[in-house]
Amino acid sequence: MKSNNDNPTFESYNRDPKLYDEIFDENDNVRQTYKTLFELYSEHSAQDFGRLNNKAKSSFFNQGITFQVYGDHEIKEKIFPFDLFPRIIDPEEWEVIEKGVLQRSKALNAFLWDLYHDKNIIKEGIVPLDLISSSENYLDQMNGFDPPGGIYNHISGTDLIKHSDGKYYVLEDNIRCPSGVSYVICNRTALKRALFGVFNHYQAHTVTDYAENLLEILETVKPKGVDVPNCVVITPGIYNSAYYEHSYLAKAMGVELVEGRDLFVENDFVYMKTINGPEKVDVIYRRIDDQFIDPLEFKPDSALGVPGLMASYKKGNVCLVNAPGTGVADDKAIYTYMPEIIKYYLDEEPILNNVPTYHCSRPDELKYVLENVHNLVIKPVDEAGGYGISIGNRLSKDEIEEVKKTIQASPRKYIAQPIMSLSVHPTYIEENECFEPRHVDLRTFTLLGAGKDFVLKGGLTRVALQKGNLIVNSSQGGGSKDTWVLKNNQ
Amino acid sequence: MLARVANNLFWMGRYIERLEHVARYLNVNYFASLDAPNELSQSRQFVLQSMLFMADDFSRTEEPLDEEKVLYDIALNPDKDFSIINYVKLARENANSARDLISTELYESINKFYHFVLNYPVENFKKRGLYDFTVQVTENVSILRGKIRGTLLHDEVYAIIMLGVNIERATQIIRIINSKFKDAVIAQGSYGDTLKNSYEWTTLLKCAESYDMMRRFYRQTPTSISTLEFLILNTDCPRSVMNSLNEVCKHIMVLTREKHPSKDSSAFLIGKVRAKYQFKVIEEIEQDLEAFIQNILDDLNSIGLKLQNEYFHY
Repeated sequence: MKSNNDNPTFESYNRDPKLYDEIFDENDNVRQTYKTLFELYSEHSAQDFGRLNNKAKSSFFNQGITFQVYGDHEIKEKIFPFDLFPRIIDPEEWEVIEKGVLQRSKALNAFLWDLYHDKNIIKEGIVPLDLISSSENYLDQMNGFDPPGGIYNHISGTDLIKHSDGKYYVLEDNIRCPSGVSYVICNRTALKRALFGVFNHYQAHTVTDYAENLLEILETVKPKGVDVPNCVVITPGIYNSAYYEHSYLAKAMGVELVEGRDLFVENDFVYMKTINGPEKVDVIYRRIDDQFIDPLEFKPDSALGVPGLMASYKKGNVCLVNAPGTGVADDKAIYTYMPEIIKYYLDEEPILNNVPTYHCSRPDELKYVLENVHNLVIKPVDEAGGYGISIGNRLSKDEIEEVKKTIQASPRKYIAQPIMSLSVHPTYIEENECFEPRHVDLRTFTLLGAGKDFVLKGGLTRVALQKGNLIVNSSQGGGSKDTWVLKNNQ
Repeated sequence: MLARVANNLFWMGRYIERLEHVARYLNVNYFASLDAPNELSQSRQFVLQSMLFMADDFSRTEEPLDEEKVLYDIALNPDKDFSIINYVKLARENANSARDLISTELYESINKFYHFVLNYPVENFKKRGLYDFTVQVTENVSILRGKIRGTLLHDEVYAIIMLGVNIERATQIIRIINSKFKDAVIAQGSYGDTLKNSYEWTTLLKCAESYDMMRRFYRQTPTSISTLEFLILNTDCPRSVMNSLNEVCKHIMVLTREKHPSKDSSAFLIGKVRAKYQFKVIEEIEQDLEAFIQNILDDLNSIGLKLQNEYFHY
């Protein structure tokens, strides 16, 4: 049995017994799933990894797989850091995840239908009315409207972590415009190029079938009377931080990548301006937020959207994916009701755990939160990208007081959760030229269509590159790992 | 294909082609001048004026020019619209907006090229990098040409890029002819040269990467007549105006859906312009080269505008 000390690149790997380590068990032995990989990696020296690391970096950079970071003075082009040590998920573990995220997506879809129709869940007092009525993301325009195929959240991204108890917990559901799937595919390509030798030893599911499944899903929700639907992807443009992903998806599906200015609405039908004149569009996978899709209905100064798009949608002449108004169901306050929501609509027990959550909107819970800020993570309900999060045990006394004041000023805006210890995974650290444990999470991608669903067998393992950091978002300096879902046990 | 994206691809083709001509012009003129047979052709001011005029019509000046500044402005000054760095930037931006239509390989090459130019050390370039920089630019463009030809579907996307490339090529060749013709006029008699036998014709051919093939074709020292005939009318010379017009004709037929294009279509205008030059003879052109140059630039310009109105309207 190899212990981690036999391998020079793992020499300075200090396992923290308080945390769940994905590859070493509590006795410092390599877990069964990772044994082969660990041995194969032992054949490489630290210099080899340094070299491979640089190669992978320049491959991403040359391909222009970059995102923009908005600094104080300039916009910088950066690659999404990629780590050479893949995350491996065995078949049993994956089965739970797959069933669990699909269950959540279906429950959320049923929840959205109910919220925009009879609102039974509110009438029965399971989800409080003020949560919905105070939400900016509830769209009156969607009230009573039946989206094609009855689908709201065609694409869901579910963020999971593994806690120190070794169990998966869902941190959040993203059902507006979840991004990251293109990196799942790029990471696979990059790892295959850099370390093709290791792939022969594992049977991992492919991830390149995402785009074809997405296109099939888009086609299931075509408007009535359309035979072969014309699908497009709409992007805010080349300066959007996820532009690479938008162009990748359009290319992989073989559909047009359009901007708002390429589309126009006439007699409630949507057309795109092509070199041969107008061409009707039937399904729009939109990567623009609700507030920007139609200046006639939402933000009047939005130049990203298409005037008249909502009217065309409501007439049933075009399908928008995801449906507008899904944001009401993925906000962090609704998250806490997910176990009840799943039971209510599906009559099933939740397969995946929810993190216990305190609502600052409730006086008794607010009191607990204010007394225990140092032991909690405080999150704003409606911020994405890891912004505005305070982690209690990292704050100074003054900072804690500051946070308390902020919460008291608008309690509805905040929730609090116990500090979950994200599991750690060996990650190549450039400065030290070796592997060190770093916190990881996992984003899965689930597709729902009319009579069809799909969960991508793989996902985006995001890693916080700074030592001890728990926030894995790319905007906060996070990286990612290739994620293998195994066909058979090792 | 989207009209906006078609427009971007058209200009991507144009910018890639344009910057390569500029790079080559810098290289050939600068190094030809070092051992030119007469004093004027060797003069720094003469060469710098010529370069600046070729890169940008509007930069004509009577003031003495500073060599480092001129070279920097044309190659690496991001604030000059006519600089190579600016063209690469625009080409990459255009490619980026059509990233779903072009191959990963093509985009990667453009992106690498962009970063090469962006990161080229400026001081090194001004002092001793001219040769290295311009040669690398030319080679990078060759790679791009190969990727365009070898990795794209030869469909509408390809046709639009090639329309841009060929219209730009014809335009730049004419501009280079114009520039060198002016140089030849200025230089005539300075070393017993007549206009007909000027050293500048050799430089002109080298600027168009056509010197060797011209020698092979005519088996004699270039004269004004043979040079102009080769670069304007020879259909087998890949850089000639006539060859470019033929290519434009070929590619517009991919875009047009009509077998007999209507009178106000781009395809009709392109056919008409080509017919106009197809049966021209060099003696006719030589009689009034300046008028000819103006004429053909106007024709190329009107083709561009027509394409704009017919296909790129968004």
